[in-house]
Amino acid sequence: MMAHRPGLFARGSAWVVALYLLLPISIIIPVSMTDQRFLSLPKEGLSLQHYATVLGSPEWLASIWQSFLIAVVATGIAVAAGTLCAIGCWRVASRSTNLVRALMLLPIIIPSIVYAVGLYRYFAGLDLLDRFMGVAIAHGVTGIPYVVITVSTALAAFDPRLEQAARGMGASLSQTLRWVILPRIAPGILSGAIFAFIHSWDELVIVLFIASRDVFTLPRRIWDGINENLDPAMAAVAVLLVVFTTGLLLLDRALRRRRDG
Amino acid sequence: MSAAGHALALQGLSKRYGSFTAVADVSLAVGQGEFLTLLGPSGSGKTTILMCIAGFVEPSEGRILLDGRDITALPPERRDFGMVFQGYALFPHMTVAENVAFPLRVRKLGAAERDAKVRAALDLVQLSAFGERLPRQLSGGQQQRVALARALVFEPALLLLDEPLSALDKKLRAELQDELKALHRRIGRTFVNVTHDQEEALSLSDRVAILNHGKLIQQGAPTELYEAPRTRFVADFLGKSNFLSGTVQEVFAGGFAIGAGATRVVTAAAEAPPLGSPALLSLRPEKMALLAEGEAAQNSVAGTIESWSYLGAGYALNVATPDFGTLRITLPSWNAPIAPREGLPVRLGWSAAASVPVLDDLA
Amino acid sequence: MMRRQDLGWWLLILPAFLLMTAFYVAPIAQVLAISFTEPSPGLSNYERLFTSESVQRVILTTLRICILTTALSLLLGYVLSYRIALANPSAQRWWILAVLVPLWISVLVRAFAWVTLLRRQGLVNETLMGAGLITEPLQLVWNEFGIVVGMVHYMVPYAVLPMLASMREIDPRLLAAARGLGASRITIFAKIFLPLSLPGLLAAGVLVFIFSLGFYITPALLGGGKTLMVAEWIGLQILDLLRWGLGTMMATVLVVAILVTLAIFSRLVDMKRVFGGGGA
Repeated sequence: MMAHRPGLFARGSAWVVALYLLLPISIIIPVSMTDQRFLSLPKEGLSLQHYATVLGSPEWLASIWQSFLIAVVATGIAVAAGTLCAIGCWRVASRSTNLVRALMLLPIIIPSIVYAVGLYRYFAGLDLLDRFMGVAIAHGVTGIPYVVITVSTALAAFDPRLEQAARGMGASLSQTLRWVILPRIAPGILSGAIFAFIHSWDELVIVLFIASRDVFTLPRRIWDGINENLDPAMAAVAVLLVVFTTGLLLLDRALRRRRDG
Repeated sequence: MSAAGHALALQGLSKRYGSFTAVADVSLAVGQGEFLTLLGPSGSGKTTILMCIAGFVEPSEGRILLDGRDITALPPERRDFGMVFQGYALFPHMTVAENVAFPLRVRKLGAAERDAKVRAALDLVQLSAFGERLPRQLSGGQQQRVALARALVFEPALLLLDEPLSALDKKLRAELQDELKALHRRIGRTFVNVTHDQEEALSLSDRVAILNHGKLIQQGAPTELYEAPRTRFVADFLGKSNFLSGTVQEVFAGGFAIGAGATRVVTAAAEAPPLGSPALLSLRPEKMALLAEGEAAQNSVAGTIESWSYLGAGYALNVATPDFGTLRITLPSWNAPIAPREGLPVRLGWSAAASVPVLDDLA
Repeated sequence: MMRRQDLGWWLLILPAFLLMTAFYVAPIAQVLAISFTEPSPGLSNYERLFTSESVQRVILTTLRICILTTALSLLLGYVLSYRIALANPSAQRWWILAVLVPLWISVLVRAFAWVTLLRRQGLVNETLMGAGLITEPLQLVWNEFGIVVGMVHYMVPYAVLPMLASMREIDPRLLAAARGLGASRITIFAKIFLPLSLPGLLAAGVLVFIFSLGFYITPALLGGGKTLMVAEWIGLQILDLLRWGLGTMMATVLVVAILVTLAIFSRLVDMKRVFGGGGA
């Protein structure tokens, strides 16, 4: 039987939408390689001078390194708490765990501006403003939903009898976790880790409120750059970010394919 | 391995989920080294009972005793029961040997002792050559044997089997039935098996407990259940049966007679219902014979062949009778007295012992 | 009711629960509380909803932009999902990547790209002027137009995911069968595909709308400070004007608006469609 395929009009308009999604992002690639000193397309030839500017700048490198460290710690927090929580909710599976799961989704539902404002006040009392740990905790907590979602999805495909089998053979809860459940859902955990990492790596709104000088992450520096001086170095940073994120996504896809295959 | 069977007892076991009763007041005893099968249709509560024994389901009421010790509150990992799950529940990320070693690993056995026991267990199920394979590289029958080895390797007090053969095709199932039975005899442990397959239950078990709607209907040795079903459900669920209903006309020593229309049927029974009360008899299709002209039998009824089919080893005839509706009878085909034909008048005969009074629990 | 055997499993939930309570719920609860206590206890901040023209203007601007963004994102997202759902499996993978890459690329990078394209000396204006189509540069960014272009660009992938999920549940044999019975493309779409994909459309609408309501970065960068939406307005009150009472009042209104929207639509839409699967 022939499958039903979209008509010419539907195909054409889908391409237009896809171009709308991808073209603006790809335009920054030639812009970043311009030979001019201002934001423009290359005129005479391609140049990597703006990449050199960024990678030679101690400020940019410091921000990249700091963002990376924060993202690593935040991912650790989100993965540890989110994975255990998803497993607990999956196994108990009652009305109260549905509420817990809904609670864990709050950071996706409630706008970050609301959280950022609250944290600004809250962290002042805890002396966590403009502190590495403050940002890492905030990013970690808001990264939990991504882990809970991916791990829950992985658990949905996990045969609960494996857990029963392990317990029936005398395994304690922690043995069952370490030897049976975690190895089976590792790809889901890794997916969650990737998303939690990207979340922290890209996060700006919270940082705008709870960090100022000592903690100056990459998004914060880009934000200042866009607001103050729109130069081609910004495009170079943007391209580096796109390459990095796309790389992580392709990694996630490769993992998923291995898990499904 | 030594005979290390343990005795299990269920006392007044009930399990309710909200207003739904999955198991209602079931009491059962499994003797040392006995092979007990819980048999029933789906939803009869048999799996819930097994899960209560294993400790995965907390009973709402009642107690579970192992050698007289109350284990109702013990979590599953402390019960020391081996279990073969439906679909086997082998760990897909571990090799066969790692699967079998799992219960030893959680008990923190030394590597040398562990390897020796794994080897012995794999030998027991004839899979010594497959230790390094992953479960998905094995056939269904092999996976089933790995599950058995894994359940037995730590010498559990009790082996629980949840529909162990249901995932296999018919021929393999028959083979593994024999193996399972031989294994049970060889190691002498107590087995509790759950199935909905009556043939499996009859051929494997020392004793069968028949369940329906969460209630224990009857338990006993396979022959006892088949030959002397106590209720209509049991007679119907175990094998095939015809049911003759009538009223008690006469009571005599060692039996009674019922009448329906112009027909009278005698039955052998220790106790008889009062005269005039309704009664139901179960009559197995293979316990009837076609009577030749003038041949007498304790019971006989005339009818005509309504339809028939050839089953290889035998014929199955549906015979229309004036007083009992259509009766099904099976005959061995190799010396069948007649060539079946629709509309052929026949006379059916059977002994008093063949018609067994049963309680009508399906009415 | 808690079962005794589940105790250990509940302990696994505990760390996340404590973290979430101490570092997420508590700060937000504080925000909501401040709106009733500062500068003076009472509902004075909320009176501004009815008296202050600037407060009302921000809310109306936000609603207008959100509704427009939602409508456009649904339209574009639907077109894309339709194409993806009916593509063959290998093409589907590439199309989905085309949706996922923008979804995960930093919102800052995307706003930056739009600024590069749309500003006065940007690529679009230069191209159009170079081609002689216009003489004066068009005002494409730092206004409501720029905000909507950037927000729709951000939201289309979010609109695609739930719609695609519900379109994939449509049995393709149904469409082929309708074709075999002589139905035209348009009939198949209108009578079969559209009604069956409606749950996904609704879920996508809820998702995009609530995400748009609290959106901060794109409006701030592409609005150029002239067109204020609530999130930026809240930031302004707190960071620049130090009017905590007013800022937190608006934050409370924002949260309530989002929760009410969710509550209303949870009767109509399976929320698992909105926030992805994984529920037991």
